[in-house]
Amino acid sequence: MSRALARDRLGAPAVLFFVLAGVAPLTVAAGVIPTAYQTTGLTAIPGAFLVVAAILAIFSVGYVAMTRYITNSGACYAFVARGHRLPGWGRRRPGRAGRLHVPAGRAVRSFGPGRRRRGRRAPGRACAWWAWALCAWAVITVLGLLRVDITGWVLGVLLTAEVTVILAETIAGFAAPAGGRLSFATLSPIGLTSGGFGVFGVLAVVAVLGFVGFEQAPVLAEEARHPRRTIPVATYVALGMIAIVYAGASWAMAVHNGDRRVVTAAAQQGPGLLFGLGGGALGQVAQLLFLTSLFAGALAFHNVVWRYMFALGRENVLPAALGRTGANNIPKTASLIQSATGLAVIVAYAASRQDPMTRLFFWLGTTGGFGIILLLTQTAVAVIAFFARDARGENAWRRLIAPGLAAVLLAGIIVLAIQHYATLLGVPPG
Amino acid sequence: MARLSGTGLIADDLYLMAHDDVTGRPFLQSRAVGLGLAGGLLAELMLLDKLRLSHGWVVTGDPGQPRDELGYCVLGLIVSERELHPVRDWLAFLARTAAADVAVRLERAGYLRQARLGRPRRGGRWVPADPDCAFAPLGRARSALEAAGAATAYATILAGLAVGSGLGPRLLPYGPPDSRRRLDMALEQLPPGLRELIAQTQAAVDSALLAHRVRASVPNDLASSQEKPMSRTQLT
Repeated sequence: MSRALARDRLGAPAVLFFVLAGVAPLTVAAGVIPTAYQTTGLTAIPGAFLVVAAILAIFSVGYVAMTRYITNSGACYAFVARGHRLPGWGRRRPGRAGRLHVPAGRAVRSFGPGRRRRGRRAPGRACAWWAWALCAWAVITVLGLLRVDITGWVLGVLLTAEVTVILAETIAGFAAPAGGRLSFATLSPIGLTSGGFGVFGVLAVVAVLGFVGFEQAPVLAEEARHPRRTIPVATYVALGMIAIVYAGASWAMAVHNGDRRVVTAAAQQGPGLLFGLGGGALGQVAQLLFLTSLFAGALAFHNVVWRYMFALGRENVLPAALGRTGANNIPKTASLIQSATGLAVIVAYAASRQDPMTRLFFWLGTTGGFGIILLLTQTAVAVIAFFARDARGENAWRRLIAPGLAAVLLAGIIVLAIQHYATLLGVPPG
Repeated sequence: MARLSGTGLIADDLYLMAHDDVTGRPFLQSRAVGLGLAGGLLAELMLLDKLRLSHGWVVTGDPGQPRDELGYCVLGLIVSERELHPVRDWLAFLARTAAADVAVRLERAGYLRQARLGRPRRGGRWVPADPDCAFAPLGRARSALEAAGAATAYATILAGLAVGSGLGPRLLPYGPPDSRRRLDMALEQLPPGLRELIAQTQAAVDSALLAHRVRASVPNDLASSQEKPMSRTQLT
């Protein structure tokens, strides 16, 4: 029986795929990184990705250790609920996944910005951004009501193409460095503190945005072949891959344009900063994929949100109607409510003629990144609380030192970011 | 031959509820059908007290074999395992073949027949031999939604498993406006083991949905069911 079951379950590559599909890497590489260079005016972004990856890896030590004991693992939400023993939360019903999360980061990553660019950049079309946004919204609404496994498949295909293109652009960027030599300055952690220590808090909030989704592997614990091994492996590999891809891409941008010029170049070119790294044909393909990537991001976001609403509806934290499925096991209510929210945002921004790029994408995006760091900090504390009651044979590094260190580091980022919120939003202080 | 009163087996009634009474098309994703039927097969054995649930683990109860052949096979599998397994694992294991196995059992009892229609290279599908008999289980499950306290354990389990595997939109409209609350009240009256089985079945269906795994790994159309029906010979 065990062997037959194991064949039926997910191995580490499948879990990894599931995790990465929710990350939409090209949106971050082409959308978030240039915007981050431009808005913050800081050049140490590649270094920030590496440092944040290291902090998140420390966080993951305790996080995946807890996964082994909560197999219904609703990840962050269930962990916090169990760690702090919230009455009735996360422990009420056996085997139910419940998650609470701040999806704003992804929301914003997908909704506003590129849609406008989609209107601007699509050759020969001069529609308003909201027309494109509404088209994508309609497709996502239909996909969300059709079949849940189709979306997973669509995301997987797009993800593979995106990662390939980013890597190709990165290599092309390194092949043509500004001034003919490779500069390592932007990678250096020293650069993080060059503009004062607060700069690091700002960069970390932006960098965390790119990693959102890495914490999803425990959701699949019940479906994984060897939960004790598969989930940690998938989490660490996902972290490593995201770090390498983003740090590589942002480093290549700085190398290609020159460390001093990259901020002005980002302001002039926007996503073109990434597409300019390669030759003409590669740039064309990358631009095309950027459009599909934005779509994939919105789709992944839609997916994540209905999953949260569904899981929380099941736990009776949100109205129970959200936790019900309609015909053919589709969580109709949750999916439709998410579609309605998306429509409301598009209509509100179109009607008030606001610029979705800065007003929605980066402002709410950084606020979302901020919320995620808060959530991760809380989870790290919950891990300590959970193991404080019963060590369950875990060593001190896993149950106390690593989560404690992660909590302190993440809390430090929060404090620094609060002090420099103006830089984060790219507005003058005050 | 097929009778309106049914076979008296929970998985049989659940299978008929989960498929269209005329065309035989499923109302649910294949993994949800499998998990629901796996819950049904375990519930049949628990009603006979051949199996019990203890803190989420499946343990054997009364000695002696059930008369039904599929029940005999399932019980044989559980008894022959050297170690105990949690009910979650048994649900996942039985779900792989449950739909095909129950379909074969229903065919032998005269409730289903094979129809080779549709596209070439597809195995065809099971269609109900008599639509009235195929619709009748819905009425049996509905009795759990009506007068509180009057429902039989059989009807309550059937309704609980049906709603748990996603047939709520199909079943609940036939009951009174507050069907769901009445069903919850009826479920409270069940023994703890059966209540847990239903909760675990529902959790397994939800978890498959949250992980986007809604298709069964073993296709349960006719072609595959003819290749590997569970039978006594498998055990001996």
